[in-house]
Amino acid sequence: MAFQSRNKFCYFKENGITDIDYKDVRLLRRFVNDQGKIMPRRITGSSAKMHRKLVRAIKRSRSIALMPYVDLGSE
Amino acid sequence: MRYYETLYIVNPNLENEALDITMGEIGTELEKTKSKLINHRVWGKKRLAYQIENQKYGSFILLQFEGGEQDQMNEFNTWMKLNNSVLRHMTVALDEKPEVYVEEVKEKPVEKEAPKDTVEETPANEAVVETTSEETETQSDVTEEESTEETETTEDVSDESSEEDTEEKEAE
Repeated sequence: MAFQSRNKFCYFKENGITDIDYKDVRLLRRFVNDQGKIMPRRITGSSAKMHRKLVRAIKRSRSIALMPYVDLGSE
Repeated sequence: MRYYETLYIVNPNLENEALDITMGEIGTELEKTKSKLINHRVWGKKRLAYQIENQKYGSFILLQFEGGEQDQMNEFNTWMKLNNSVLRHMTVALDEKPEVYVEEVKEKPVEKEAPKDTVEETPANEAVVETTSEETETQSDVTEEESTEETETTEDVSDESSEEDTEEKEAE
């Protein structure tokens, strides 16, 4: 068939993560596109509860310069 | 009481002594709020995601504490903002009590591994030590009857036996 549904799953539920730390940049990088934008829930598949925590963590790490507000690539 | 965590960025070009001084100042300023300090450690020098005050790098310092008086916490916040050596800071409430950070976590497993090896080897070593000690005892019994000068020789013998032990250990 032309349209095959990908198996979407919540990364956090799958790995048993209940709290997201804003200092864990390596984890947060997975949920941000190459421009530094937070990816929507419909693409990442994360649950609403964890997405809210994720957004809070990413915004915190942006404000302390661990993650970029805008990633322009090469400087 | 609630637990808080403050992460602040300091100019990376500061020397270790100057860094210690600024950390000490911040620690004393925090104690004015009657909050209990749990952790205060250097998290590391990291590349900033964007430049702050024309700095591309910054040394991040993590400060975890049990909250004190709220009014004075605001004063601490403004003091941190006015502090020129702090590029940026952020205080966050923690859900749980933070664990006390123990330094040199990487080296400890190595130390633990070393004793295990010795434990495995000790039975053989102990047997060697017992035999040598018996020999020295018999010799000392003989020398005690004769004179005090020769007791020194027995010490030499014991030294030699210990050297032999070390040699055997090295061989193993």
